[in-house]
Amino acid sequence: MSVFRLAFMNFRNSFRSYLSLVLSLAFTILILFNFQNLIYSGPFAVLGGHNKQYIDMLVETVSVVLGCFMFFFLWYATNVFLTRRKREIGIYIFMGMSNRKIGRLYVIEISLVGVTALAAGIGSGALLGGLFQMIMGAVSDIAVDVRFGVSWKAVNVTGVSFLAMYFFFALKGYWNITHSSVLSMISAARQNEYVRMPKTVLSAKAALGAAVLSAGYYLANKGGRQSMLNNALLAVVLVIAGVYLLFGGLIPLALQTLSANKHFLYRGQRCLWVNQMVFRMRKNYRTYAMVCIVGICSVTALATGFAMKERYHNIVRFDNQYTFQLLTNQSGLGEKASALIGGAGDIACQTSLAALSLDADHLVLKYSEVKRVAQERGERFDLSEPADDETVYLSYQMLMSLIVHEQPVPVMIGGKAYLVTRTVRDAYIGYMQREMGCFYVVSDSEYERLKEQGTTLYIHNYKLADDMDFAAARAAVDTLISNTDENFTARVAVDPFDNDTDWIKALHSLCIFMFLVFVVACGCIMFMKLYNDSFEEKERYLVLRKLGIPSGTISASIAQELLSAYMLPFAVIAVSAYFSVHALGRMMYTSLFSIYVVSTLAVFAVFVLCYMLSVAVYRKNVL
Amino acid sequence: MITREVKKSKMNDNKVVEIKNLIKSYGAKDFQTTVLKGIDLTIYKNDFIAIMGPSGSGKTTLLNILSTIDKPTQGMVTLDGHDVTHISNRELAKLRKDKIGFVFQDYNLLDTMTLQDNIALPLALDGAPAKKILDRTRELAAAFGLEAQLRKYPYQLSGGQKQRGAVCRALITEPEIIFADEPTGALDSRAGKDLLHCLCRVNESGQATILMVTHDPHCASYAKDVYLLSDGMMKCRISRGSDRKEFYSRIIDLQTSIGGDFA
Ligand SMILES: Nc1ncnc2c1ncn2[C@@H]1O[C@H](COP(=O)(O)OP(=O)(O)OP(=O)(O)O)[C@@H](O)[C@H]1O
Ligand SMILES: [Mg+2]
Repeated sequence: MSVFRLAFMNFRNSFRSYLSLVLSLAFTILILFNFQNLIYSGPFAVLGGHNKQYIDMLVETVSVVLGCFMFFFLWYATNVFLTRRKREIGIYIFMGMSNRKIGRLYVIEISLVGVTALAAGIGSGALLGGLFQMIMGAVSDIAVDVRFGVSWKAVNVTGVSFLAMYFFFALKGYWNITHSSVLSMISAARQNEYVRMPKTVLSAKAALGAAVLSAGYYLANKGGRQSMLNNALLAVVLVIAGVYLLFGGLIPLALQTLSANKHFLYRGQRCLWVNQMVFRMRKNYRTYAMVCIVGICSVTALATGFAMKERYHNIVRFDNQYTFQLLTNQSGLGEKASALIGGAGDIACQTSLAALSLDADHLVLKYSEVKRVAQERGERFDLSEPADDETVYLSYQMLMSLIVHEQPVPVMIGGKAYLVTRTVRDAYIGYMQREMGCFYVVSDSEYERLKEQGTTLYIHNYKLADDMDFAAARAAVDTLISNTDENFTARVAVDPFDNDTDWIKALHSLCIFMFLVFVVACGCIMFMKLYNDSFEEKERYLVLRKLGIPSGTISASIAQELLSAYMLPFAVIAVSAYFSVHALGRMMYTSLFSIYVVSTLAVFAVFVLCYMLSVAVYRKNVL
Repeated sequence: MITREVKKSKMNDNKVVEIKNLIKSYGAKDFQTTVLKGIDLTIYKNDFIAIMGPSGSGKTTLLNILSTIDKPTQGMVTLDGHDVTHISNRELAKLRKDKIGFVFQDYNLLDTMTLQDNIALPLALDGAPAKKILDRTRELAAAFGLEAQLRKYPYQLSGGQKQRGAVCRALITEPEIIFADEPTGALDSRAGKDLLHCLCRVNESGQATILMVTHDPHCASYAKDVYLLSDGMMKCRISRGSDRKEFYSRIIDLQTSIGGDFA
């Protein structure tokens, strides 16, 4: 029989054992395909040229991340497959096949798998693409025009990049098989020797892991200016290393200690599943660590997405606090402007206050005035009056910053040094705060003292009731602008229809997309691993049944074992993600705790789903 | 009805297993081969029976039916007073768990746990208190010379140690009867002897009733009674008496008279 026919027969007759690989590959293809779709339609199509450079940057970044992700995922999936398949086709050695021939057999088989997966992935991608975009649209308030069509470009890009990577790994497998010893091929030594490790080695690993992990957590949340980025990068490396050591050391150590305590162990099914768990942990700890890292990424991605959305709304709200703002040295301008704007459309709210100009870079505001204006506008106000040598800086909402100020910094205003005790990001003076960036609030008494030294300016703010009146009102206001030697008036107009910040929305959608990728990958990896394991476990459960152990007991033990198999990584994900989201929150100047909770719950939901699926499949396979 | 009642009370005295006119055939209607052609056998408490027979004579088939893994085509099998041919699968599983201990040719220890946990497993699954399990495990391990091996994993044990461990596991639930299919089949003569000595000891001390299938006359000579199965029928039965060496030569004689060497 030719190698090709043999491969084809293997593929057809035991499709079930190829299924997990086919599914996981199809999943990768689905992701890639959907990403292409996302580029050619979806959120990006809606955004105009305004945001082009941001979007291109985003797409590039995500492409790189996705590319890396795909590479590692394919590596992992083909590796798992190779290990199992090698054992099965190794038997052909006894029939006089050479390693090279077996290698060829493997390449043909895995090619069949790849082609099937590609067809399945693109097929399901075309079918599910619309659904996928609808989900994205729902979670990311961008009006997505859902398309069910297949873009040939997307198919091409997906197919070519997948096949290129895939055949690389297929050839790697060929190389592996041709360079394997006969013994490892037939793996007669199927005995499992990784059951137990010396306690000292485990303890050392555990201690190191705990130290590395806590160092990572600490760094991620450490204060300090400018070093935030370095800290964050170092923290990522430490957390990854720590998670590996945790699963290679601490967790096996804990489980091993538990299983050595017979009073704990000999209680119903525990005897069975705790031992199984120890065994599984020793054998699969790399997989668990990987799942954890991908899981942390997924929680962080979703949290970033939510945070971006929240931040986007905050920025829009900040910028649109007032529609028009005037800064002038003329005292009677307020009424005039009010009449003009009022002529073009209803004014929802108008406020005025004075500012002191002491030098080019600083405008000083009076504490009680700021408070009054904020209250008139209905803005939250929780500032307490600064001391005479203190000041509060009025800043603006930004997307994120890698520099975290914590210490008060001194500032020189009108020849006197003040300590900036607080930086406020509420829109007391509206968009002007962002535009000018030079407002400082001082105490009432200090303001009165400074009044002698500076010139008084007037700030008038107006908020239109109806955005539709904007154009007419702006034309009216513009007649007031003057810039003569003794008179000057500056105007700030905020176009409510402006979409300069829409790229943040795209960022948000991308984060959600990445979350979906990561979380499904997490579930897939766990599921695939357990699915593969269930073939190995079959013999073990057969023994149990021969011993007359009722299938109900075995079922319960499986459920317990899989539950801990899923919940252990989940616990690590939940703890680690808390720190990563916290660090993110510090960069974004907000507490993301509720977002962290929601994101973690989303991952939890996916895990529960995969768990139930795994239990069902596992039972079907071994019972 | 009445006869059944009587039977049951008698059984409680000493009958553990009773089979009557047991017939087992394989295959569909036209291609049926009858492997067991009407077998009668009663096992009493504290028996140690070896069933011998040439390859293909139906030893494993008989054992599988007795141990409720397989169902007979015809005939009656009662186990500790329960008619196993007419009870539900659930009850069967319970019966298997409570009344029967198994020893397999290839040990079938779980490679994921230590020998101690392997021995303890049936009792732990049964929900016994940990203290009792520990005591019982140690007691059995001592009886089988395995104290030093308890913390080892199966891959660290010799075949003989594994098989003795498997016997401990079969004994831990204090079953009514132990079924062993070629228990020494995978062991060398030394390890086989050790195992048989242990089996003899637990049998003589009244802890176990044993039914063993073997084709090895030396192995069979450790039993109290040897039955010969041939062509699906119980051909004859011989009992040991006090001298094992003499019993062994009688088994050999019987074997030659039936025709051929089984092994
Ligand atoms: N599932 C089955 N279907 C059909 N025939 C079977 C089946 N199981 C066993 N047989 C047949 O029943 C006969 C007895 O088999 P059994 O396994 O009981 O033999 P044995 O006495 O245990 O032999 P050995 O000493 O070689 O183990 C054999 O001829 C075998 O071919
Ligand atoms: Mg047999």
